[in-house]
Amino acid sequence: MVVVSPSAPHPDTAESPTLAIRNITKIYPGGTQALRGVSLSLRAGVVHGLVGANGAGKSTLIKIIAGVERPTTGDLLWLGSSTDWRRPADAQSAGVAVVHQQSPVVPALSVLENVYLGNEGTGLWRPQDRLAEFAALCERVAFTIDPHTIVAELSVGDRQMVSILRALAQNPSLILLDEPTASISPAERAGVLGAARSRAAAGVAVVFVSHFLNEVMQICDEVSVLRDGQLVDEFDRDGMSVDRMVAGIVGDRLHDVEAIKPVHDIGDVVLDVRELRTANTDTSVSLQVRRGEIVGIAGLLGSGRTSLLRAIFGADRRAAGEVVVDGKTLSASPQAAVSGGVAFVPEDRMGQGLIGDWEIWRNTSLADSRSLSRRFRFLDVAKERLLASRARRELGIVASSIDTAVRDLSGGNAQKVVFAKWIYKTHHVLLLDEPTAGVDVAGKADLIKLIRDLAERGIGILVVLSEFEELLSLVDRVVVLRHGAIETEFSADAVSVAELTASVGGLA
Amino acid sequence: MTIQKPPHDQAQSIGVGARLRSASQSLRPQRAGVVYALVLLVVILVVTTVVMGQPTYLSSTNISNILGQVAPDAILAVFMTVVLISGNFDLSVASVAALSAAIALKTIDTIGTIPAILIALAIGAIVGFANAILVQKVGVNAFIVTLGAMTAVRGVVLIVLNGESVTATSRDLVTIDEVVLSFPYWVGALVGIGLLALAVFRFRQARLSTALPLDGFFVALIIAGIVTLIISFAAPDLLAQPLPVWIMVFVTVAVSLGLRFLVPGRKLYAVGSNPEAARLSGINVNFYKMAPFVLSGLAAAAVGLIYAGRFNSVDPNALTGTELTVIAAAILGGTSLFGGAGYVGKSVLGTVILFTLSNGFNMLNLGSNYQYVVQGVVLIAASAVYTVASRSRNRRKLAEAVSAPTPAPAVEG
Repeated sequence: MVVVSPSAPHPDTAESPTLAIRNITKIYPGGTQALRGVSLSLRAGVVHGLVGANGAGKSTLIKIIAGVERPTTGDLLWLGSSTDWRRPADAQSAGVAVVHQQSPVVPALSVLENVYLGNEGTGLWRPQDRLAEFAALCERVAFTIDPHTIVAELSVGDRQMVSILRALAQNPSLILLDEPTASISPAERAGVLGAARSRAAAGVAVVFVSHFLNEVMQICDEVSVLRDGQLVDEFDRDGMSVDRMVAGIVGDRLHDVEAIKPVHDIGDVVLDVRELRTANTDTSVSLQVRRGEIVGIAGLLGSGRTSLLRAIFGADRRAAGEVVVDGKTLSASPQAAVSGGVAFVPEDRMGQGLIGDWEIWRNTSLADSRSLSRRFRFLDVAKERLLASRARRELGIVASSIDTAVRDLSGGNAQKVVFAKWIYKTHHVLLLDEPTAGVDVAGKADLIKLIRDLAERGIGILVVLSEFEELLSLVDRVVVLRHGAIETEFSADAVSVAELTASVGGLA
Repeated sequence: MTIQKPPHDQAQSIGVGARLRSASQSLRPQRAGVVYALVLLVVILVVTTVVMGQPTYLSSTNISNILGQVAPDAILAVFMTVVLISGNFDLSVASVAALSAAIALKTIDTIGTIPAILIALAIGAIVGFANAILVQKVGVNAFIVTLGAMTAVRGVVLIVLNGESVTATSRDLVTIDEVVLSFPYWVGALVGIGLLALAVFRFRQARLSTALPLDGFFVALIIAGIVTLIISFAAPDLLAQPLPVWIMVFVTVAVSLGLRFLVPGRKLYAVGSNPEAARLSGINVNFYKMAPFVLSGLAAAAVGLIYAGRFNSVDPNALTGTELTVIAAAILGGTSLFGGAGYVGKSVLGTVILFTLSNGFNMLNLGSNYQYVVQGVVLIAASAVYTVASRSRNRRKLAEAVSAPTPAPAVEG
């Protein structure tokens, strides 16, 4: 059964939902429209799955429900009456509890102190009074832990359980689980998922946000799919299938992109990574990228994808091994990498790729002061600005002028500025970490085309991408990374998304 | 300089109005507040002195007097601004200056003038380098490192002076402080005309859409040109100043131009704005974080020499508190404590404001008891203006974004 019109009253619930979201839009300063009229009903006793690609608007929706952001237009109805949460505390006191991917816990305090943090009751903090309450709480989610353990000593998964317990201790009417399993091991996941189910059984409305569609299948009663800030599909258990979710998340764009996948020439080895070991792992990685080749790295969060790219670029210390680019060994520093012709597009583009307060033109010349300056190290502003104008035209950067601050650009346009920083200077190797994260569909298609063009110009490209459909449509070859080591390698034509997913998860 | 021939797709030109509009941005209170504050302060003082029947406030003597007092602190403020732009902090400058003065006066009679000066400067550079290593390589917070350096170096001053003040028989440092360089009025006139000519050149250049839009630099050229012309014809005796004042002028102009027109200047701002992005763009972040400390130490030592020459004597508590005056001056000038933003010229104006305040208090016989209260209030008020102004600008941007949800497509064809 598909609820096509979300505003229609649900047939089998007479009472009003815990939280009804009516036609919410959200526009950020800078003009990014994150939500375009979303309506949802979150009902008591139901686990509601929320899925969508990065940049689909999930995180904005979560922030609105949690009271972190306010919608630009639209209404929130809490138990039938209109609300306007101005800060997280408002939502919390109404009965919303949030568990994030990595919820902040206070490492120096004990489990018990963390669970009742900010909720110590009046007067003196007497731990012994809370122990019975804590035990009951643990029993409800079938989890055992010593309440006096210091949180710093816990595993990531146990910390996640502590933050779930903390959320439950507030006796919420609505629990928001935002990728609660993303950073924890499969064994620990069962506990988190079980907790979510048992809370719904106790009459709480649960929102479950995840990229792991099998988990969504496992525990959700109904699912909403977001794409580009819109609700594109909604279904309950009867209509639920992974295919349908994928179709909703991905839309039509992959088919378009896939259709134009070109055949291109692959040349000599341009990047040779030999026995490279990062500081935190005891396994080493060797891989080669040829001119014109796009190599993908697939792995789960925490498999060492980003560390590998950063170690190749010299951004993090290397424990052992060497990196050879175009026949020359690079010493381990970003400076050496840049002058050796390596470019790096980091995942956190505002934090690591750009200077947010600066205009487009000062950002595009950030990495190439040598060819953009005159004698005696005088800046050549005219040349810099010509380059920025050219980048804006050729890459289709939407901005009122090259004097726009990059902080005011949308994700895709900001990412194009990061690319522009590198592609107009001579380089041999391009390292891309989640280049399309937080980028809208149109921007994504542009970036994928750009990456392919760069490969055709003979640049060797190494790319980390969490969305495997997109990854396989882009790359020639994909290496699977697990626990910091290369597990296996596939030709992109010879592997399906399902096989790759299984391999990455250690199932094959 | 050459005018860049634009390629035809960029050939569209920008009208006079649009050019002036972009220049007028730099006249907003949050950008030029320090200039308005100084003008307001001077007007108040001029009016009050006239009303109270005292000698004219804006006499050449009084202005020279203020400039002479301002010069050492202004030189420190220039380099403090450089340190602040790089995203760091230096509390040790006053102690270093005192140590430099003490060492120079202690050694000058035995080892000669030049060696004494070199030793004093070397000590400044060494303290600066030690600060740099501890902050950038060891990773200790700059506030703590330089607070420690401030205390420890002051301790060294006490040890060196053994608790007493010291005087030298050599008059060389005094001569350096007192030597007056004077320029004939026509040199000033030529400089003024030159500055205005540069402004005209800049204005014509900004016609091209690829050229940098007119900004505060253009406005500063015009103001500096007019002020220089007025001085040259109305008060040419202001062109005769002791060496420290000319050093201040030279350092301010040279560092501002370097920050604006040279690659290292751009990189300094980049490193201060976002060190990680700068590092991942291949910029030598260590160098741009460390060099300002060394420069600051050197400048502090040089200021110590000026101080030694001025009094030909130094006592253990010399210059105590100057580091805070200097930081206050930089903040009055709109320098960010978080790095990546600031202009040395405005910091110098900030220094002038602080000294004009205390000078005015003396002129009006208001009692120096009140002057610290007023200085403190001025400092906080200035920061409040900067903060509120930038917040309201963000809010305006948000309002614009909401009223026009779809970003306008690129206008350029």
